[in-house]
Amino acid sequence: MKPEAIRAEPIVLSDIQRDCYQEIANVAMGQAADLLARLLNVFVELPIPQVNLFEITDLHMALQSLDQEEAASAVCQGFAGDGITGEALIIFNDSNFDDIARLMNYTGEHSEAMHVELLMDVANILIGAFLKGLAEQLDLAFSQGHPAVLGQHKPIRDLLRPTHQSWHQTLAIEIIYALENHPVNCDLLLLFTEDSIEVMNKKIAYLLED
Amino acid sequence: MAIPVLICDDSSFARKQMARALPKDWDTEITYAANGEEALTAIRAGKGEVTFLDLTMPVMDGYAVLETIRKEDLPTVTIVVSGDVQPEALARVQKLGAIEFIKKPIDPDKTRTVLTQYGLL
Repeated sequence: MKPEAIRAEPIVLSDIQRDCYQEIANVAMGQAADLLARLLNVFVELPIPQVNLFEITDLHMALQSLDQEEAASAVCQGFAGDGITGEALIIFNDSNFDDIARLMNYTGEHSEAMHVELLMDVANILIGAFLKGLAEQLDLAFSQGHPAVLGQHKPIRDLLRPTHQSWHQTLAIEIIYALENHPVNCDLLLLFTEDSIEVMNKKIAYLLED
Repeated sequence: MAIPVLICDDSSFARKQMARALPKDWDTEITYAANGEEALTAIRAGKGEVTFLDLTMPVMDGYAVLETIRKEDLPTVTIVVSGDVQPEALARVQKLGAIEFIKKPIDPDKTRTVLTQYGLL
């Protein structure tokens, strides 16, 4: 780690900024949940989105919902636009797969390939819709990279072992979707780079103006 | 005479956006609540002839507020303002007595239309 890569002052979020991000996330999350609800024919229970700044090395601690020890699988997808870059992640505990497969009418053998396909399907829906909702509210456009499997059947802390050495602080938005009457939940995690935080703070400053 | 209007949302940003979306020519006295319990207190105190109600909130959510309003027959007309745009959410709040559902982000034109439609403006 080179000293010049570290900021003199860590970025902080005011309560007003945090509240604004939370509300923007709330709207975007609702739009994504609507698509998921229609696809699975269920009612999606919406949480209050968690917005926090983290050291990237502490990221696994950010995840409040999922059992750290239980095996999980994750898909990540990069996004960028207007000076904002980040990664979106979908994380499932492996114990959820049978229920989701049933809801999505997947039939046949539960193979690894099906596992990946399921993850990708849910990731595409939730990440795409969330980013669209976010972009609309911030008045910008994101382009999305290809989704990739981050890891399968591993404890969360191993899945989220940081690979971005130059990336210290991150703005994390965590949304825990739960399905009513089904023992399924799924984490949507948005991670924004340090440089993006300043750009986004400027964007929301317009929204916060009197 | 100014109409007592209650805006209930856990987000201060959302409360402000809601207040801004009200028609400028509507004579109101606005009270704010950050959760369902605060909302019920305000409604019982006569501060919410018209209530704009969020659904997802800590302490007490919007569904519980609607249930209480119905159970206690509290004097307020409730318009739900939420980011939960699932058709099922709309159906549930209508069943619980909300007169209308406005999607977030709040649109001033839609707000005016709703208020006019129900003779509140």
